[in-house]
Amino acid sequence: MFGLAKGLKYTLKNMTRKKLTYDYPNEPLPLPDRFRGIQKFYPEKCIVCNQCANICPTDCITLTGKKHPDSSKRGKIIDTYDINFEICILCDLCTEVCPTEAIIMTNQFELAEYSRDELFKDLVWLDENDTQLRKENKA
Amino acid sequence: MIEGLLTSEATWLHFFIYFALTVLLLFIVLGFVTYAILAERKVMGFMQLRHGPNQVGGRWGLLQTVADVLKLLIKEDAIPRAADKPLFILAPLIAFTPAFMVLAIIPFTDRFQFADIGVGLLYYIAVSGITTVGVVTAGWASNNKYALMGAMRAAAQMISYEIPLVMSVIGVILLTGSMNLNDIVLAQENGWYILWQPIAFIVFFIAAVAELNRVPFDLAEAESELVAGYFVEYTGFRWAFFMLAEYVYMFAMSALITVVFLGGWLPLPYLGFIPGAVWFALKFMVVIFLLIWFRVTFPRIRADQLMEFGWKVLLPVAIANIFLTALLKEWINLF
Amino acid sequence: MIRTEEMLLNVGPQHPSTHGVFRLVIKIDGEMIIDAKPVIGYLHRGTEKIAENLQYTQIIPYTDRLDYLAAMTNNYVLCHAVETMMELDIPERAEYLRIITMELGRIASHLVWWGTYLLDLGATSPFLYAFREREMIINLLNEISGGRLTFNYMRVGGVKWDAPDGWIEKVKAFIPYMREQLAGYGDLVTGNEIFLNRVKGIGQYTKEEAMDYSLSGANLRCTGLAWDLRKSEPYSIYDRFSFEICTADTGDAWGRYQVRIQEIEQSLRILEQAVEQFPETGEVMGKVPKVIKPPKGEAFVRIESPRGEIGCYIASEGKKEPYRLKFRRPSFYNLQILPKLLVGQNMANLIAILGAIDIVLGEVDG
Repeated sequence: MFGLAKGLKYTLKNMTRKKLTYDYPNEPLPLPDRFRGIQKFYPEKCIVCNQCANICPTDCITLTGKKHPDSSKRGKIIDTYDINFEICILCDLCTEVCPTEAIIMTNQFELAEYSRDELFKDLVWLDENDTQLRKENKA
Repeated sequence: MIEGLLTSEATWLHFFIYFALTVLLLFIVLGFVTYAILAERKVMGFMQLRHGPNQVGGRWGLLQTVADVLKLLIKEDAIPRAADKPLFILAPLIAFTPAFMVLAIIPFTDRFQFADIGVGLLYYIAVSGITTVGVVTAGWASNNKYALMGAMRAAAQMISYEIPLVMSVIGVILLTGSMNLNDIVLAQENGWYILWQPIAFIVFFIAAVAELNRVPFDLAEAESELVAGYFVEYTGFRWAFFMLAEYVYMFAMSALITVVFLGGWLPLPYLGFIPGAVWFALKFMVVIFLLIWFRVTFPRIRADQLMEFGWKVLLPVAIANIFLTALLKEWINLF
Repeated sequence: MIRTEEMLLNVGPQHPSTHGVFRLVIKIDGEMIIDAKPVIGYLHRGTEKIAENLQYTQIIPYTDRLDYLAAMTNNYVLCHAVETMMELDIPERAEYLRIITMELGRIASHLVWWGTYLLDLGATSPFLYAFREREMIINLLNEISGGRLTFNYMRVGGVKWDAPDGWIEKVKAFIPYMREQLAGYGDLVTGNEIFLNRVKGIGQYTKEEAMDYSLSGANLRCTGLAWDLRKSEPYSIYDRFSFEICTADTGDAWGRYQVRIQEIEQSLRILEQAVEQFPETGEVMGKVPKVIKPPKGEAFVRIESPRGEIGCYIASEGKKEPYRLKFRRPSFYNLQILPKLLVGQNMANLIAILGAIDIVLGEVDG
């Protein structure tokens, strides 16, 4: 019986404690800078090295490059860049390998959509996704 | 007032007044159920460091239960194809009608009572037992193994705990010399029965929690074992009926505990200026809070241990209490 | 004479207490179980096969998803296996960070177990109290790794991130707080008579049986055998810390409960020493070749995860991808004893026994 009484005391004590829940949809969740959220892509920084597409464990990145329009410069520029968020696991490996930090993580994580097709994000969308960017991108 | 109505001439006017009063009680009970569910969720939330419902109906979630009920009412009424259809439909009715029937005999104040019958206490316990028939029917008619097991547990539990429940109040009946609830309340003028019959109170309270199928005795609907127990196949308003029955019983049982052990509407000494209804409500809420508090704290008892506890601990204690009370009564009468 | 019939009951794959999609086909007589057959595979994703087509770095996120309640230890076992094959040196600071994150993960995992086990037994509150503390650990790990569940923190040769400023202090502050809460847990549950009656003598087996079934972790230590790889075969830098192997001698669910609660305490002890000894400066990533290609050959390493011995076997042909990767997933092995324990028990004990084994379906199904 004594053990039961101690339990009752514990729960009663907790009744007046501070509540620990987040008021989530009304207030954004406080997330640390390193949080791995939906990627932001900088087309101008990309050198089309294909490392991100190669390292991706789920093969969710597809990209194509084209010749630099200014023929005096060498190398390629990015033409299309798509991330399929149906299979992306936000593992951070693409940003880890990127030599120019053309792809970085943000603090956004809300990916609910009404259609699966909308989870297929293209270059324009990833470029415009420029809020809550991660400051520290290389370890 | 009601007593007067019952013995007065049978006219339409008196009938309508009486009817209006019963409707009033019905709304009080439904209002109680609405806010008891909310209070339970809020208290549970607070004890578990959450807020509980706080979206519908302002900061305190005052309309949450209303929204829930509305949602239940517009849900599809699904009856499993393999279920025994007539029994499946009948079961919620059997379960919830007695819950309302027992309310008739509860004396809320010295005037607000609908039926002042001589064997009030016995009536309550007898009628409330019928609900178990509804539960077993529901479990059987669902044609679901989990539901059947839940129903069987409910039946076994009811049989095991009804007996100590009755045995424990015999002490109170001995002291009062009556089974009439009004007499029981009035006999507590010199001290509530919780003081004169502490053992009976403890046994009664434990057995009452078991009767209500609440934690730690919620075996019939043990969520983690039997998914939901006897009403696993029910949805929508049929399911709502079971929940309604459960909470009306919570209302009735708390009221009964208040009446039998906490002196009903009687005030504490020197505080007689506060009306009886307020006293009743206060004591009643303490009992409700206790029930919720238990639910937050305790794990569930195992079925076989529940039976052992009922038959080997509660029943002997209750019987011993009867002897003790009888001796005490003789002894007190000597002086 | 009353004729009774046996009833075949499917517990799961969708059932509140099977902790995922675990299915148990039981034959019951009344509430008594006379036969039980576990059916697994509902969460099988073929991690080991997928890994054969992935580079070693790419496999790390997949290990997160095996035992998703203690992803750090899974990260570590893979990295440790590759490092063993390549004979890499791990910087001091990285080793400490690994230990700290793994022990935090162990506490978080045991907290989830504690909460859900009590939930199985019908008590709702412990779950929320446990998650209060777990949330703090998750926030700490989120700060250092950027993930809340699938950390993907360790790399072959070190760890991805160094600890952010003030992180070690936060861990330091967490230790006494957790001790205090642990005492509260004792008040709420450990002395509770209803709880004790539910777990004492339930699912009992002997030391020999535990070894025959190759159980590990708390399931083994509850029989009194002091076998904890952190001490018995120290890996990483565990030999630098003083802590005890928690054992109980009852071999029942109550013993497993005690072992896990004590393990939280011991993990706090390790954490305390680790943050004390934590080097001020240093690299967190060792010298690792750009392309990770373990030499031809094979390696097997095993470490102590919260659920038991997790092992990683790598057969390499000297390529970027493993030829064969195999995880010894402790939950899978621990689950084997379940049918034996269940026979003769009733339905309520089924939940108590299954919960006490502490399985994670991601790990059972692989």
